[in-house]
Amino acid sequence: MRISTGQQQAQTVQAMLDQQSRLARTQQQIASGQRILVPSDDPTGAKQLLDLGAVVARVEQYQRNAGVAEARLGAEENALRSTTNLLQRVRELAVQANNDTLSGPDRKAIAIEVRERLTELLGVANSPDANGEYLFGGYRATTRPFSVAADGTVTYAGDQGQRQVQIGADRRIVTGDSGDAVFQAVRNGNGTFVVDQGANAGTAVADAGTVLDPSAWVPDQYSIEFVTNSAGALAYQIIGAAGGQVVPALPAVAPAAAPAYTSGAAINFQGVQLTITGTPAAGDTFSLGPSRNQDIFATLKAFATALETSATEPVARAVQHNSINRALVDLDQALQHITVVEAGIGGRLNAIDSQRNSNDDERLRTQALLSEVGDLDYAQAITQLNQQQVALSAAQQAYVRVQGLSLFDYLG
Amino acid sequence: MADPLNISVSALLSYQRALSTASHNIANVNTAGYSRQRVDLGTQLPNYSGAGYLGNGVQVDGIRRVYNEFLSTQVRDLTATQREAEVLQQSASRIDNLLADPNAGLMPLAGQFFASLQDLANDPSSTAARQVVLDKSESLASRFRAFATYFDGLAAGVNSGLATAVEQVNALARQIGDLNQNIQTLSGAAGAPNDLLDQRDELIRQLSEYVAVSVVDQDNGDRNVFIGAGQPLVVGARVQQLTMLRDPYDPVRQRVGFVSGAVPVDITGQLTGGEIGGLLAFRDQVLDPAYNRLGQVAQGIAATMNAQHRLGMDLNGNIGGDLFTVAAPQALPRSSNTGDAVVGAAISDVSALTASDYRLDRRGTDYVLTRLSDGVAVDLDAAGFPGGAVTVDGLRISLASGSIDDGDSFLLQPTRGASASLRVAIADTNAIAAASPIRTSSAQANSGSGTISAGTVDGPPPVGPDLTATVTITFNDPPTSFNVAGAGTGDPANVPYVSGQTISYNGWTVQLSGRPGIGDTFAVGANIGGAGDNRNALALGALQTAGTLDRGQSTYADAYGNLVAAVAVRTERAQATSQAQGVLLNQATAARDNVSGVNLDEEAANLLRYQQAYQAAARVIEVANGLFDSILNAVRR
Repeated sequence: MRISTGQQQAQTVQAMLDQQSRLARTQQQIASGQRILVPSDDPTGAKQLLDLGAVVARVEQYQRNAGVAEARLGAEENALRSTTNLLQRVRELAVQANNDTLSGPDRKAIAIEVRERLTELLGVANSPDANGEYLFGGYRATTRPFSVAADGTVTYAGDQGQRQVQIGADRRIVTGDSGDAVFQAVRNGNGTFVVDQGANAGTAVADAGTVLDPSAWVPDQYSIEFVTNSAGALAYQIIGAAGGQVVPALPAVAPAAAPAYTSGAAINFQGVQLTITGTPAAGDTFSLGPSRNQDIFATLKAFATALETSATEPVARAVQHNSINRALVDLDQALQHITVVEAGIGGRLNAIDSQRNSNDDERLRTQALLSEVGDLDYAQAITQLNQQQVALSAAQQAYVRVQGLSLFDYLG
Repeated sequence: MADPLNISVSALLSYQRALSTASHNIANVNTAGYSRQRVDLGTQLPNYSGAGYLGNGVQVDGIRRVYNEFLSTQVRDLTATQREAEVLQQSASRIDNLLADPNAGLMPLAGQFFASLQDLANDPSSTAARQVVLDKSESLASRFRAFATYFDGLAAGVNSGLATAVEQVNALARQIGDLNQNIQTLSGAAGAPNDLLDQRDELIRQLSEYVAVSVVDQDNGDRNVFIGAGQPLVVGARVQQLTMLRDPYDPVRQRVGFVSGAVPVDITGQLTGGEIGGLLAFRDQVLDPAYNRLGQVAQGIAATMNAQHRLGMDLNGNIGGDLFTVAAPQALPRSSNTGDAVVGAAISDVSALTASDYRLDRRGTDYVLTRLSDGVAVDLDAAGFPGGAVTVDGLRISLASGSIDDGDSFLLQPTRGASASLRVAIADTNAIAAASPIRTSSAQANSGSGTISAGTVDGPPPVGPDLTATVTITFNDPPTSFNVAGAGTGDPANVPYVSGQTISYNGWTVQLSGRPGIGDTFAVGANIGGAGDNRNALALGALQTAGTLDRGQSTYADAYGNLVAAVAVRTERAQATSQAQGVLLNQATAARDNVSGVNLDEEAANLLRYQQAYQAAARVIEVANGLFDSILNAVRR
């Protein structure tokens, strides 16, 4: 077969150019560490790289969000811990103040501390987070949530909003509780019912009561009134505002059939139990109704006010006793409530932790995939580079050799 | 007359010519398209003598080029296909390189934009976080615009590339015509002028670098060249020209016309092969779809982000406005329309939008909308057009003004202009609507365990006038139903209650659950002062992973990824074609050159061969001279 000189030349040159461009490509791959230099190298792989890269970026953002959520929940946890310590101290004071050996000035001194604690609690409830937003303001994060009116009542200016943070593709976590939920939505009394004293003339003191049988409890506003029964003894009757007479049980007629009162004996009705001690006067009343929400500030304020009332004679002492008893159960409720809120935060922190772990897993998995799809196999690439270098230099040598051959060299 | 002297003279003359031809071959070893030439030697007519016919020497019968028509045609055809694939690949790779570039691509910026929304959700009252959102949205929008500028540049490149190619085609056609003329003039009994034939073939080959041609030979030696669907570019010495035409719909777009008669005929659709074919294929198969797809993503981001943003509330307590502005779909009338109609097009459902362009034609009483990507046609008059608006693929088409005449045509581009026009609509950090305009609350005095969810604002915008009116939900005795009171609700009473049920009034939806007590109340109202509310920021951020495009099938990133993949696949295919065609072209060229090309060694051998014969003939003259001398010497004595 004959071959033309020009073609021979063009072919060997083309061979060199081809080798050079292959070599350049391998060089570029090695320099960048990337298998795919442009999407057309591997369209499917390139799309995968885009998707996986976006996943990694997103997961990293979730991790950052989780950090923010943890910081906010941590700040709230701190505030709640202060609140718990503060309430425990106030409870100790309440136990102390209930002691009959204390004098009026002693109680006033305690009242001063309680007022201090109240101010301190306000500070905690108004505390800001790291970004300067109020922790307990709900959505109204830039409005000071709690303020004190002239009469000492605390009002809430925030709302019930709860901010959420995205910590996973389908996972949002609540990063705060509103001041309303933390400091205001606290049940008073024993959590089921609350006992209030009437304007009593006797020295009867009621405890907070307990629920014996929740299924038998019928929420109603009950009035416990001391009367004289047909036997002429001091007795009590209980009448519900909606349900009517409960004790004595119908069809017995009150007050004639009312059961006799014994100090310290348990009074049972509708699945609840109440103990009243002391000597009530006929016509004295206690009311017993379903627990309502009472804010912690009001609890502290009522306690301080009770302590500040001077009580020297027995009837006033009984009134004070009842008030301090109320304060004690309300404080217990508040403590329990804060503990529940804290437990919720702990749960959320745990959830964040486990989401962080699963985010980390996902990131690792995705990065492994990314590297599998996009990273260069160096061993293979370097082998290829060597082969291509050899091929290029062979092509160059062949060119020189072949071009040196010409019959004209021998003509002379 | 058969004397040695004459015979050797004929040999000397013949070998001189043979040596010249060999020299000519050597001289043209590097001339493109040159076919080596061969001298055909033959004996001269013999003389009759009594002993028989006596040879009379040698003569040159002809000088012919070594040429194979089939091989040349193959080279020409492969040149056209290879060049087309090469141009397509080179042009497509300019988009391919850009799209997935970690620095120049769109994905990193989109990622940063959504990350900034999440950061805003983490700290919604922060001016810094809001500023970052604005900055990142501006970066994203400006990257879309930069892409659009780049694509526009590529489109302009196609225009100028076509113009250059058309000029070249015209120049080559003229030269081919001139050569046809010369060859006809110079051809005679002695045959055709080999070098001119080569030149003409080479010019036709060069022509096929610009566009695929077909060649028909005529008996008189003319080569006629046809392009497209048989348009006669060169017939004998008569040459017709190509010209650039404006696209009838889009004046910045250039098309190729064939000048025949007064009005050039648009033959763009019929041209294949070569640079013109490559540029047209690039424009139709890569650039336009990519540009539209990018626009679809831009439209999608603008429409869905705006829709969510307008359900939110900004830091000033106002309902959010648009976050992005973007151009509406275009409806371009054909320049030859006789009616004065202006067709309006608007996006009604961005998720149903396709990346295709559409053509609206009136044919008699029919109004036909054709989706250009797959040719699916929809009868619009059946749906009430032009009397009313018609919605096709999320595109609401209406007759804005004027009337459409029979035969009028419009080009609808729903997404083309979107990326060039995407801009951030707000400059004030406070105007970012990170909050929701409503909030819910349960009353302090509630005795039951009922709860109310934070509530959501229902799309699509605009929000209702009573959205933020205070609405109170009060439970009855027994608490198995509730009353609703508030402006816009119609104050329904005794709505049955089921725990977990959702209720919707005034454009919001809330969920009630748990066991509310008698007389318990819940309220929905304006989110006054809700600087710490991030619900709308979360909702905006969630759009990153939501199926917002392609009928819910694609996220923004998916749609963009599909664009990258589509361009990459096309580029890859063009590259493979270009390589394969290159190999074929090389083989065909080698096959042609193996026949027609000059081999210097062969010519060197020929030189030696002819030189020897020439020297031998000269020797014969010397012998004849010796013979003559012998006679003279004999006579002298």
